[in-house]
Amino acid sequence: MHSVTAIVVAHDGARWLKETLEAVLRQSRPLDRVAGVDNGSRDGSGRILTEAFGPSSVLSMSRSTGFGEAVHEVVRRLPRASGQEWLWLLHDDCAPDAHALRALLHAADQNPKAAILGPKLRDWLDRRVLLEIGVTVGRSGRRDTGLEPREYDQGQHDGTHGVLDVLSVSTAGMLIRRDVWEELAGLDPRLPLFRDDLDLCWRARVAGHRVLNVTDAVAWHAEAASRRRRRIAASDDHPRRIDRRNALFVVMANLPFWALVRSVFRNITGSLVRTVLFVLAKQPANALDEIAALGSVLGHPGRLFKARKERKKGRKQGYPAVARLFTPPGATWRRLADMIQRYLAGEGPVDSAGRHHAAAASSEDEGDELLTDSGLFQRMSSSPGVWLCVLLLAVTVAAEWSLFAGGLLGGGALVPVTGGASDLWRLYVENHHSAGLGSDTWAPPYVAVLAALSTIFFGKTWLAVSVLLLGCVPLAGLSAYVATRRMITYTPARVWLAATYALLPVATGVVASGRVGTALVFVLIPVYAALATRVVAGSRRAAWGFGLLLAIGTAFAPLVYVVVAILGGLAAVSFGGIRRGVGVSLAIGLGTPIVLLFPWLAEIVREPRRILLESGLADPSLADPRLGADALLMLNPGGPGTPPVWVTAGLVAVALGALLLRRHQTVVAIGWGVTLFGVLLAVVVSRLAEWPGVPLAFAATGLLVATALTAHRITEFRAAGGPRRAGALLIVIVAFATPLAAAGLWIVGGAGGPLRGDLRDPVPPLSAAWSPNGERTLLMRPEGGRLAYTLLSGRAPFIGESDLRAPAADTARVGTAVAGLASGRGGGDVQILAAYGVQFVTVPGPVDVALQRSLDSEPALVRVSLSETGGLWRVAGTVTVPKPPSGGDGWHRTWLWAQAALVALVLVLASPGARTAEQQEDYGDAPAPARPSRRRPKNPEEQVPA
Amino acid sequence: MKGLIENRFGLLALVLLALGALYGVAFVSRPAPAAQKPAQQVKVAVESVSMVCPDPGGGRMTAVTPLGGPSGQGGAATVAEMKGAKPLATLDHVGTLWRQDVPVRTRPVTVAGMGAMAAGLEAAQTTQVTSGAQRGLSGVRCVEPGAEAWFVGPGPAAADVTLHLANSDEAPAYVGIMIYAGEGPVLADRGNGMVVKPGEYREVKLRELAPSPLVMAVQVSTSGGRVAAAIRASLGEGKGVDWLPVSAPPSTRVVVPGLPGSAGQRELYVATPGERDTVVQVKAVLKDGSYALKNKESVEVPAGSTTTIDLTTGVGGQPGALVLTSGEPIVAGMRMTGTGDMRDAAFTAGAVPIDLGSVVADGGPGKKSAKGSGKRESRLVLSAPFTAATVRIQLLPQRGTPAEPVEVTLPAARSKEIKLTPPAGAGSGFAVHIVPVAGSGPVYGARVLSEDTPQGVLLTTQPLAPARTWAIVPATVDSPGAVLP
Repeated sequence: MHSVTAIVVAHDGARWLKETLEAVLRQSRPLDRVAGVDNGSRDGSGRILTEAFGPSSVLSMSRSTGFGEAVHEVVRRLPRASGQEWLWLLHDDCAPDAHALRALLHAADQNPKAAILGPKLRDWLDRRVLLEIGVTVGRSGRRDTGLEPREYDQGQHDGTHGVLDVLSVSTAGMLIRRDVWEELAGLDPRLPLFRDDLDLCWRARVAGHRVLNVTDAVAWHAEAASRRRRRIAASDDHPRRIDRRNALFVVMANLPFWALVRSVFRNITGSLVRTVLFVLAKQPANALDEIAALGSVLGHPGRLFKARKERKKGRKQGYPAVARLFTPPGATWRRLADMIQRYLAGEGPVDSAGRHHAAAASSEDEGDELLTDSGLFQRMSSSPGVWLCVLLLAVTVAAEWSLFAGGLLGGGALVPVTGGASDLWRLYVENHHSAGLGSDTWAPPYVAVLAALSTIFFGKTWLAVSVLLLGCVPLAGLSAYVATRRMITYTPARVWLAATYALLPVATGVVASGRVGTALVFVLIPVYAALATRVVAGSRRAAWGFGLLLAIGTAFAPLVYVVVAILGGLAAVSFGGIRRGVGVSLAIGLGTPIVLLFPWLAEIVREPRRILLESGLADPSLADPRLGADALLMLNPGGPGTPPVWVTAGLVAVALGALLLRRHQTVVAIGWGVTLFGVLLAVVVSRLAEWPGVPLAFAATGLLVATALTAHRITEFRAAGGPRRAGALLIVIVAFATPLAAAGLWIVGGAGGPLRGDLRDPVPPLSAAWSPNGERTLLMRPEGGRLAYTLLSGRAPFIGESDLRAPAADTARVGTAVAGLASGRGGGDVQILAAYGVQFVTVPGPVDVALQRSLDSEPALVRVSLSETGGLWRVAGTVTVPKPPSGGDGWHRTWLWAQAALVALVLVLASPGARTAEQQEDYGDAPAPARPSRRRPKNPEEQVPA
Repeated sequence: MKGLIENRFGLLALVLLALGALYGVAFVSRPAPAAQKPAQQVKVAVESVSMVCPDPGGGRMTAVTPLGGPSGQGGAATVAEMKGAKPLATLDHVGTLWRQDVPVRTRPVTVAGMGAMAAGLEAAQTTQVTSGAQRGLSGVRCVEPGAEAWFVGPGPAAADVTLHLANSDEAPAYVGIMIYAGEGPVLADRGNGMVVKPGEYREVKLRELAPSPLVMAVQVSTSGGRVAAAIRASLGEGKGVDWLPVSAPPSTRVVVPGLPGSAGQRELYVATPGERDTVVQVKAVLKDGSYALKNKESVEVPAGSTTTIDLTTGVGGQPGALVLTSGEPIVAGMRMTGTGDMRDAAFTAGAVPIDLGSVVADGGPGKKSAKGSGKRESRLVLSAPFTAATVRIQLLPQRGTPAEPVEVTLPAARSKEIKLTPPAGAGSGFAVHIVPVAGSGPVYGARVLSEDTPQGVLLTTQPLAPARTWAIVPATVDSPGAVLP
């Protein structure tokens, strides 16, 4: 004969308690006794308990009392009853089914050895969702329910006879024999919350009892504490940390010694790995909890020792029975595989299912526009963006045909591209550069960007540069098309915008003059615009991404930062008051480049003229110092590769027309404002004899976005019929005239300019082969009445080496010596050069006769070869290359590490990480309905490019 | 403001206004077209000069550094026999001529100057033989080693032609010899791949390479290293002997200066090393003007060959120069003979203008040096074939103070013959320093030495070569972009 006492422990659970109590009192197998404990509730739980059970059956305890303590208190006061005495432990948020107790007792009858029985737990809200059918634990302390997240209960896990042999069952609905409770000393009061059930059941198992989950009995559990639907008073710590700490504690306290040693090592490694993963997933709080929990357990060895001592009896003998029920060893790897799979599918890198505080990720509807149910090919072929890219690619190939000559790509601002990713990385991190005369200056940061790109392109710098520079037009089109996805809903307008942007005079000019950095900036500008709309909407992640991309663009063309900073300042003034967090987001976006590029930017600021320069060779002939006012207004930066001024007339005309529309006035005004600002800056830059490509690209972006945002009005006009319809047609023709004309002229004129695809290595093979120790080669080239020279250290220069500076004294000495050598005056010029390690002198063909005679007349030079392609002279005698100064630059090394760490941090913060949507502010007792959508409501400000 | 923006026409007007303002700013600030300033060229003193006198034995050697060079003190010039133990002389006085008779069987002599003595250092050898097969007056400017040298003159079939090669450097020279005969280029294996080791000198009989040519142009070039090359042509007893001066490298316009005013035969050699036939226009620049010679207006030169044309009736007896123009690069030279029973020959060749001045080490004999019997004369033949020029001529005697410079004006397209009289107390000889005055056109010229002997006039000429006083230092710029074409 059974005698069952139900013990309900309530703590701020009024929201669920009423239902729980009803369910308890309506059991089909009536309870013999009921007892309630109120742990200092402030929401009237105690009153509800008293109403239900009567004042004599309710205990009031302090707010900090744990579950175990409360039960202990009841059991202590509970008079003994006749028969087999059972305790039925219930949480205030756990409502058992009406037949639950009967099923549990039935199972107890069937299995006389069973001392602890638990019901099948289902979710409180979604009543079909299975939460637990017994819980086991991995050796790492990981809680394992053996269920998929959000699995519906269809009886699929039910035991053959309605019971499952499990390691432990939850205290929610746990039915335990009183004698066993007393034998085991009940729940461990050291575990006020979480894992106390595991500990108890483990001890029961060790003592030779069976722990059963009765699948015929059902209870609905809200898991209020672990899901943080209520504040935890038993401990100040975060529930996640308590859970992890208790898990470690229980496992370590109950394992036999050798298993414990293994477990300690496993847990230390596991915790560290998990911490890193949490950091990567941008869950710093989780990472902190993880490491703090481990520290807390290992930091109190006395507590652990005491607990182990208490559990000493039969631990080793009972262990095999327990170990059988642990999570199988392969599960860890399977979980890892699952995790990677899910990460690739766009979910968080660390799964949280299976933990107490599991929360299903809300589905994101961002970026799924292209995703439909149709197949990949169909999707691709029906997307106008793909067609646009293919078309732009075709135009590019047709125009750049002459550049695929098979030689080295170079010319204009681009040195012939040689070397690989490793060379660029070395250039970036080395303290002393052997290039040129030798230099101690730090390599500019864009070298690191190019090195990273080269690494992505299989370590081939030429491939990275070719894709970036030659593919500038299609890439810009793609980026403009994708970036405007959220801004512009009218697809034809986006197509027009992307095509026009990609074929701007700036783009063709960039290709013709070999400006790799500006090509990258040009591709990035639409991304800036897209991210900026989210930054001014207050998005933190977008701000980090924006900052990182802005740093990349700034590294290539510092002017980008100036433009963005001014526009950002204006945006802060305009939007700062509208939304919370905009100021912080903007500060992140604008501050990140400064932090990431700090030492280099400091140098730039010291020489303000360098702000206007771009990466690569600074060749004044690449810019038109007398650029006409009309060209500037038509967004034409001048220089090689730019089409006639009238090409962009259609764009400007349409944009002026957009001003006349009645709606969208603000958007158009802002777009035009950006344009006017960009043009003004372009005028200034151009008059300072630099190339105004970057400000004009910004100006064009403003103009294009303003126009494209209003373009859907065309459909209205067309629908209106009559003259309006003809007007709409005219506008479309004028608008599309710009990209079509630009493409046509580009194909006809060819993309080449100073940029060529048939360059040879500037270092003759002979001198390269005979420079085993980096002996230098002096390259002289008479051009425009002057003699240009450069020192090469046995190989062609890498991108970025042109920005290194040698000590001024050395430069002056070598300059004088080179001039003397070229003059043929004799004397010690060759000896001076030889002291700097110059072993060869080369003059590319056709060799200037006077220069050749001068070099031939120099006794210390021996002519090695002279032909149409060039001449090579060798310095007679042996030349020793000056040794680089020993000793490292400690600051440089420190900064590189710091920079790497900062970039990693920003990458982590910017990358789309786990979307766990933890409800930080949802502690309260208010019902938690649907999760708030992360998608911000659309409103006009958000669509404004800034 | 807000109202303006909200009114669509207001906004348009505002934007147009802003655009207009931007246009105005850009238009006003547009800089004037910058005049292309020619990069300034700076001249610096030559600091090191070395040259080789190919075969001074039995004659006299002269060397001088002119005045007007850098003011720096120090430096010295060394005259030394190749492979010789001790130098023949060390010179350290700027503006003073060193002149010495050299015993027979002397090896080639190097003259090397450093520092102040290098600027304009010039040396020459002159040999006079009064009888025998080698009878004649012959002289040559000591040549600096180089990678290429051109000579034009009679071929091995017409004369005994000896090529003197000397390597005074420290690296071996790999010498190739190419001969362009009247019938075309002579392909001889033995002319290629000759190695002249450092410090080595050798004489090559061109007859062994190409026995048949009557006329020839010779290109001596090195594929590595440098060599000092000189050619001596001995036409046979009674026909004269002399060195062939180094000719200017192939060019489409060649000036052959230094036609002496004395009577005698004049034979022009023209060669085109290219692969196309060409027609060469010949123009004489004489005392009274510049004109094409009657019936000898042009010469046809087949590709890769040498042609001669006798100009005795055109320019004989008149001092002057020839200007040759053609469609293809050519080299040219001239043989001139003196008069009398036993003739002597002299050679001149295409020359480059003496932009920064020229020095002739052997300006002429002094009054005292009466070794020979006949009357000795030294003349300068100067030509300004294109534009007028003024030159300053200074005589640098062996002893005593240098004479005051004399200015000579050359009208455009005219030549002048100037007789050089040794200054009083000049010792046994003097040197000549010729400097065109700033603003002058290109000046060409030669020094002509002659001596009347009973058998006939002895003759030698030396075209003026630019002095190695100054070197033009190009403006240099350290530019990493130099790697790009």
